[in-house]
Amino acid sequence: MAGHEMVHNAMYAPHEYDAGISSVDQISFLNGEDDIPRITRIDSAEVVYRAHRRAKLVGKYLMGDILGEGSYGKVKEALDTETLQRRAIKIIKRRKLRKINNGEQNVKREIQLLKRLKHRHIIDLSDLLENEEKQKMYMIMEYCVGELQELLEAAPDKRFPIFQAHRYFRQLVEGLEYLHSQGIVHKDIKPGNLLLSTEEILKITDLGVAEAIDAFARDDTCHTSQGTPAFQPPEIANGLESFSGFKVDIWSSGVTLYNMTTGVYPFEGDNIFKLFENIGKGQYQIPDGVEDNLKDLLTGMLQYEAANRIALEDIKKHDWVRRKHPVTPGFVAFKPIQGHEDMLRGFTVIPYLEDLHFHNSEEEEDEDYEDHYYSNMINTHPHAEPAVAGAQNSNNCESHEAEKKKKRKTKSGLLSSCHPS
Amino acid sequence: MPLFGKSQKSPQELVRSLKEALGAVVKGQAGEKKADKATEDVSKNLSAIKTILYGAGDQEPQSELVAQLSQEIYNTHILLTLVQQLPRIDFEGRKDVVAIFNNLLRRQIGSRTPTVEYIVTKQEILFDLMKGYENQEIALNCGMMLRECCRYEALAKIMLFSPEFYSFFDYVEVSTFDIASDAFSTFKELLVKHKMLSADFLENNYEKVFTSYQRLLNSENYVTRRQALKLLGELLLDRHNFTTMTRYISNPENLKLMMTMLREKSRNIQFEAFHVFKVFVANPNKPKPILDILLRNKDKLVDFLTKFHTERSDDEQFNDEKAYLIKQIKELKADETSTS
Repeated sequence: MAGHEMVHNAMYAPHEYDAGISSVDQISFLNGEDDIPRITRIDSAEVVYRAHRRAKLVGKYLMGDILGEGSYGKVKEALDTETLQRRAIKIIKRRKLRKINNGEQNVKREIQLLKRLKHRHIIDLSDLLENEEKQKMYMIMEYCVGELQELLEAAPDKRFPIFQAHRYFRQLVEGLEYLHSQGIVHKDIKPGNLLLSTEEILKITDLGVAEAIDAFARDDTCHTSQGTPAFQPPEIANGLESFSGFKVDIWSSGVTLYNMTTGVYPFEGDNIFKLFENIGKGQYQIPDGVEDNLKDLLTGMLQYEAANRIALEDIKKHDWVRRKHPVTPGFVAFKPIQGHEDMLRGFTVIPYLEDLHFHNSEEEEDEDYEDHYYSNMINTHPHAEPAVAGAQNSNNCESHEAEKKKKRKTKSGLLSSCHPS
Repeated sequence: MPLFGKSQKSPQELVRSLKEALGAVVKGQAGEKKADKATEDVSKNLSAIKTILYGAGDQEPQSELVAQLSQEIYNTHILLTLVQQLPRIDFEGRKDVVAIFNNLLRRQIGSRTPTVEYIVTKQEILFDLMKGYENQEIALNCGMMLRECCRYEALAKIMLFSPEFYSFFDYVEVSTFDIASDAFSTFKELLVKHKMLSADFLENNYEKVFTSYQRLLNSENYVTRRQALKLLGELLLDRHNFTTMTRYISNPENLKLMMTMLREKSRNIQFEAFHVFKVFVANPNKPKPILDILLRNKDKLVDFLTKFHTERSDDEQFNDEKAYLIKQIKELKADETSTS
């Protein structure tokens, strides 16, 4: 299973392999290297990877390595070959989706919401592709380095230094304020749903269980919740029929802040029943060593009665939030993706790009496979400016590229469907 | 003492000498030797002050010097003088003023922002900055400082609730495009940045604001009209402005205006108008005058909407909304009067 993720070092391995069995590889030819001894250098395991390093285009997106795997499918890094933007693509398999409770409905809702949202701290859905034949959906989003959860797990004591937690929390509050201003209750705020961009900008993601409140509803009353148990407020743990939606997000953000600064959770339990029982009682301790100011904020956010819980507006004005926290040692940075060595989590599409443009093998010309992707993301934001016409202009060079890509796509289709995974 | 270059003046000396030079600039006539020298001195001092705040080269600013400098700046009220004399300062000097001003504003001690607190006690600074939009030469410099001020609720509040705020309705329409755009972005920032504050402002000054706003929607200037319409949609659909939205969509005049704009020549304006128009129709508690207008135009509206922007077939959300509106209008009945 994990095999095809561990590809990294072997950037040139596919070429080496090709050089052995087919004609002369362009790169090694240019380097003037002899191809005979190179065969012996190949680890047999690497031969398996070969198919995975093959360039695969989904629409105009060139796929890179896997970034993560969720219950709906994989998330891969990709390159927009028209704009050269780095992207992340969430691949959703309909077949898998059907097996998950509310799966289809949640994905549909998430897409609908993301399409109308545009904010610095909300993940941007830039395109949406579908492949009817494969029953797959591709959500093209802005690239993020990883989740806060991942960072927390990499941290000693599983927590951030105060200045770092503060940095993320402030951004969370801003994103949340925007969501609420648009009448959206996220309902599943937690470190696992907060991403960081390459510029360390926090992005709220996963609106699968979010709810949009009717624009004409007088208040934010909600009736259902499918969020993560440890982050749920007492009113949900106690199974109340209706509750204030926005205050649910305040509570979960409180648990998130608690977790980021202490490394533990305010409420735990051996199973969900015990956990909900504990949350339902609302008794929790703030560990020693938490400064009074932060304690005060946490207490405000984790108020048992939703009505007494501090409002976003007052969180923004809270002393701990407004304060400038001195930068202390111990900043937690991302570790390389499992199985990779790159500390900086660099761009993984490059080897695929090389394959796309330099690799010419003739042995599998016989495949005839055409993928069909339907985009349904044009003019999605209601206030979007008209698309720049220039993007459609093509010159000779580009159309030549397109030809090439088409050829590659034709080949890669079938191959990619026979992964040994 | 630095190893190279001339010995540094203390922050107090710098501010004092800047103040003197500014005084000389005000008194002198352009072209006179003395005045030229004064202008040069102003620029030199500004540049030195900037260096203290931002540090030189790789050097970090020294917090002790920064503290002394800020204190001196507050004590001498030189920020106000700088803003007032901005037209007399040369190009580079103006840029330095902006850099100094914005740096000081961002200055934080714990959770306190001393410059913001200072400006609250010296509000003329804000009003003079706003007035800056009337002078082409300094308008964009003032814009940059104003937007930095907008980030702080206390300052935004002073500006929003001042009579001077209504000058923005003129500034956003001036003929110089870059100034009008700059003014619009400040105007927008004031209205959207601090949600609770602006919700409160819109509610309490509804009549005055929307009377002025009407002017923008009817502007001769296409850009103004379009930007204003777009911002209106954003404001009304923001949950914080619920009360204002309810009030806006209860006024038949507003509905008429949107219906007119739906038929504007520009398709972009039509499209923006659609996003405001839909709120009137979707309202479950339509007051009688609104319902009457919709009923009177029922067939025409259904017909119009059916043909409205049909080329946007890819825009799922738009088409869903359009279909919803058509259905709503078709099902309108005369007895369905408001319950509220």
